[in-house]
This record gives sequence, structure tokens and C-alpha cells, in this order.
Amino acid sequence: MEKCQFCGKPATVHMTQVINNKTTVIRMCNECASKHGLFDKEGLPFAMLSGLGEALFSGMKQNLSANGLICSKCGCTPMSFKETGRLGCPHCYKDLKLLIDGIIESSQKGTIHKGKYSREGAMAATMNATGSFTDTSAKKSPRRLSTKERLNELQEMLDAAVKAEQYEEAARLRDEIKNLKGSEGVS
Amino acid sequence: MNDFAKKLFQDSKLAKETTPVVVSSRIRLARNLADFKFVKYACKGDLHAVAERCEKILSSCSIFTNNTILNMGDLLDYEKLALVERHLCSQEFIMENNESKLFFTDDHLTSIMINEEDHLRMQVFRPDLNFKTMFDKINAIDDHVSENLNLAFDNRYGFLTACPTNVGTGMRASVMLHLPALVITKQIGNLILAVQKLGFVVRGLFGEGSEAQGNFFQISNQQTLGFAEVDILSRLTQIIRSIIEYELNAREIVKKERIIWLYDNIGRALGILRGCYCLTSIDAINCISLMMLAVDLGYLPNTLRGDLHQMMMKIQNSHMQVLENRVLNGGERDIKRAELLREFFATVPNLKFD
Repeated sequence: MEKCQFCGKPATVHMTQVINNKTTVIRMCNECASKHGLFDKEGLPFAMLSGLGEALFSGMKQNLSANGLICSKCGCTPMSFKETGRLGCPHCYKDLKLLIDGIIESSQKGTIHKGKYSREGAMAATMNATGSFTDTSAKKSPRRLSTKERLNELQEMLDAAVKAEQYEEAARLRDEIKNLKGSEGVS
Repeated sequence: MNDFAKKLFQDSKLAKETTPVVVSSRIRLARNLADFKFVKYACKGDLHAVAERCEKILSSCSIFTNNTILNMGDLLDYEKLALVERHLCSQEFIMENNESKLFFTDDHLTSIMINEEDHLRMQVFRPDLNFKTMFDKINAIDDHVSENLNLAFDNRYGFLTACPTNVGTGMRASVMLHLPALVITKQIGNLILAVQKLGFVVRGLFGEGSEAQGNFFQISNQQTLGFAEVDILSRLTQIIRSIIEYELNAREIVKKERIIWLYDNIGRALGILRGCYCLTSIDAINCISLMMLAVDLGYLPNTLRGDLHQMMMKIQNSHMQVLENRVLNGGERDIKRAELLREFFATVPNLKFD
């Protein structure tokens, strides 16, 4: 009988993952499988990146050697990503780019967004009655807040942070407001 | 029935209007606010602020006026699990934290999780394969959200998500299929492999990929970056259409070659449902699956289709506990389940075989 790749008990769950024609088989016992979220109805097998990362993304290892990476906003590192399977904040996509590009290349169809609000504007699509889509290519981009709106938003966040006694966050927000006011010359 | 039970058991359009083979379809979008850490790394104060902001914006969205908002922290464990059984929220969502909120409409066709793995997980459902209607609906909600909140978006990567496997469109589309004949004719294994090779994921309804559990399979896109929403949806639609055709062909083959076996299995299943006093969830779902097949093949009246789906919900572990308003242990659940099924199937007419 095959053994669980994680704990060595007899494996009862066999997962075959095919990404870009590359097949990976992972064998697990029931316990490890549920620990990695394999039975989560909503998630997909991928949600269990946690710990399975290595098995799934063996092709990604070279990039992982870039272990010195750290997100300047939230402190997330390739190590913490490997543990939790989640990134820390939107800024991670900049600071951990090396790690993320590796994952994206081995798991996604392409490396550039082509959906809603993308430059190619393949949006506002409509589907005809037979179910095939036609593309009306409306060009849009997500709304960028004006400085004034952004300031209001930050002020609201600051108030919330103070109320919740999140003083570190409050200090960060205070600095951000100060910077923004400075750069835009708003008094 | 308490208020929660009423919300849960109100007539679900999804169950009432379900079709043969396609049980239900879903589109889900993942979105995050640009100025906060992702949920797993955020502190309680941040999560609270995210929840407040999202709630404010969603409440002003016309689709959610007069509908339900639940603070997940206020619910009992089996109440949360019942929402998962209804597919209104995910397993991960109910385990995470107490700052999460759930919006859903009375018809159970739209739901939004705040502070799941991503700040916002918005989903729409339908009882058929009409992705156009679903996409228009979710897109309108998303427009409202992106006009009013500063979302994490990057020109190259698209919508930024806590897991890079959702980045880009942040969209996951899935279809729940009932494929008894492909299981009976043992074609399901090859089909699953073929679908996986096309970049789609196959899972079972109740647990992973098990053929034994009611012949229900969920198919969804695996990749979210590198193509437009419409491309993902039309590819999925195409794949599902072919699978429906395979399933219908397989049903013809079973009718032609194994008719006595088919009558026997359907007949016995109805016997179990009418006479059981203690029935596990897996046995019950397998029997109900055969009753659904019987409706599709004309052996039972068409009007039963919706009722069977309602029953399948009702006999799930947490649904029964909500109904009884207390915790039931495993043995008690099997007895209660049998009671509900016996009562219902006593009213079902006898099978009319060709």
C-alpha cells in the first residue's frame, strides 16, 4: 500500500494535479488531506498550498532560493507563505515578485491579466442565446480615488484604528496622511 | 421554527428550478481592499474596519436591500455548518474569525462573504447553465463595489488575492452535475482525467471525488489569470455541454443493456427510503440520487425533481439540527433522517416503469 507523503501512514487519498500538461500525484492519509483543505467544498485542491507547496511546485524551487525576500509593508516572507499558503497584503505582489511569478508561471494560464479592467479591455462581454460569448471591449479601469477622497478615506481608517486601539496601524495611517498632504500641497 | 431556521428553509429557487444533469451553477469573485492586509495576516481591528466598510457599501447595493446580514460570530456551530451545506458560504469562512459577515438574498441566489480568505468573496448561483445571466448579475455587484471601495488591483496581475492561484480575474465558476449513468457505465474516471487535462478541477459534492456519494460532481476552472472572464465561462460551458451529452448517451445505453439492473436498483432504493428507520447520510444520498434518475427517466413525476433537491438539503447533518433546534449526535441524526425520508416518500407515487 502507498504511504502518505506527509506522515507515512497508509495513503487513502490520491490527488492527481495536471497543470500545463505536467502531472503531479500526491498521496495522503485522510487526516493530512483534511488538514490541507482537500475536503473543503468551496476551496479547490490548490487552497492547500500550505505544506503541499513543495510537492506541487517542485519546478518552483530555484525561485524559492530567493529566500531573502520580505514584504516591506507586512513582513510576509517566502517562508511564511509556504506555511500558510497565503500572502500578507496586496504589496506582497511587488516585494515578493520573484516568488509569486514562479507560482503564477507554474499554475496559471498566462502571466498577464486579461479580464475585467485590463488594458486589453476584454470586458463588458455579452453572451448570445446559444451560450457563446461576444466581446464588446469596453475600456475601463478601476476607479482611482482623488486625493481628497483618499484623504477622507484614510481619516476614516485612522478613526477606526484609534477606536479599535490599533495604535501601530493608527501611526502608519497618520504618516500616510501626512505624506499625501505634503506631496499634494493640501493643507 | 426560529428566525434563523426560517431564513435557511425559505423556498430556495435553486432547489425548485433545478434541471436534469445540471444541478446548479455558480460564479464567485474574490476581491480585496487595497489598504488592508489580507485576512489571514490582518489584526482584529483591521478586520473590523474591513467588515464595516464592506457592509456599508453592500447595504447600499440595491440587490441587498431588505435581505439578510449575519454576523458569523453570533451563530451556533451547527447553524454555521448549515450555511455551508446550503453552499451560501465556505468551510474556511466559518472557521476563520469572528469579524466575518455573510450577506445573502432571500432566494439564496446571491451571497457575499466578508473576511473569508479574501476580504470579499461574492457569489451568484443558478439552477441551470445560464452563465450570461449570472455573470451580468455578479458583474453589476462588482461594479458597485469597485466604484465605492479602493480595491487591490494591479495592471499586470489584475485583482490581487491572498492566494496567487486566484489572482487576475479572481473568478471561479463551477457547475454541479448529477452523472449517475457515467458512474454506472464506469466512464467517469476517464471523463475526470480528460476534464483535468483541460485545466478544470473535478470534485465530489460531499467530499473529494468519491463515486459512491450520490454521483454528484463539481467542475470548476483552476486558472484565473491569463484569460478574460468570458473566455473561462465559455470554455466551461462548452465542456459542460459535452458532459451532458455523454451522460444522456450513457443513460440510453444503461436503459438498453441493463434495464433489469436499473429497475432493481431504483426499486430497492425507493424501498429503503420508504421503510428505513436509521439511515446514514451517504446511503440516503445514494438512494435520492437514484430517485432523481427515476424522475429524469420518467419513472416518477417531473414535479418531484425540486422536492428531491429540497429533501437532500433537509437531511444533511446540520440542517436537521437547525430544524430540531438542538445538537444531535450521530445516532440521533440517522434516526431523524430516516423519519424525514419515510414521511416524505410515503407521499411519493409508485414507480411507473416503461
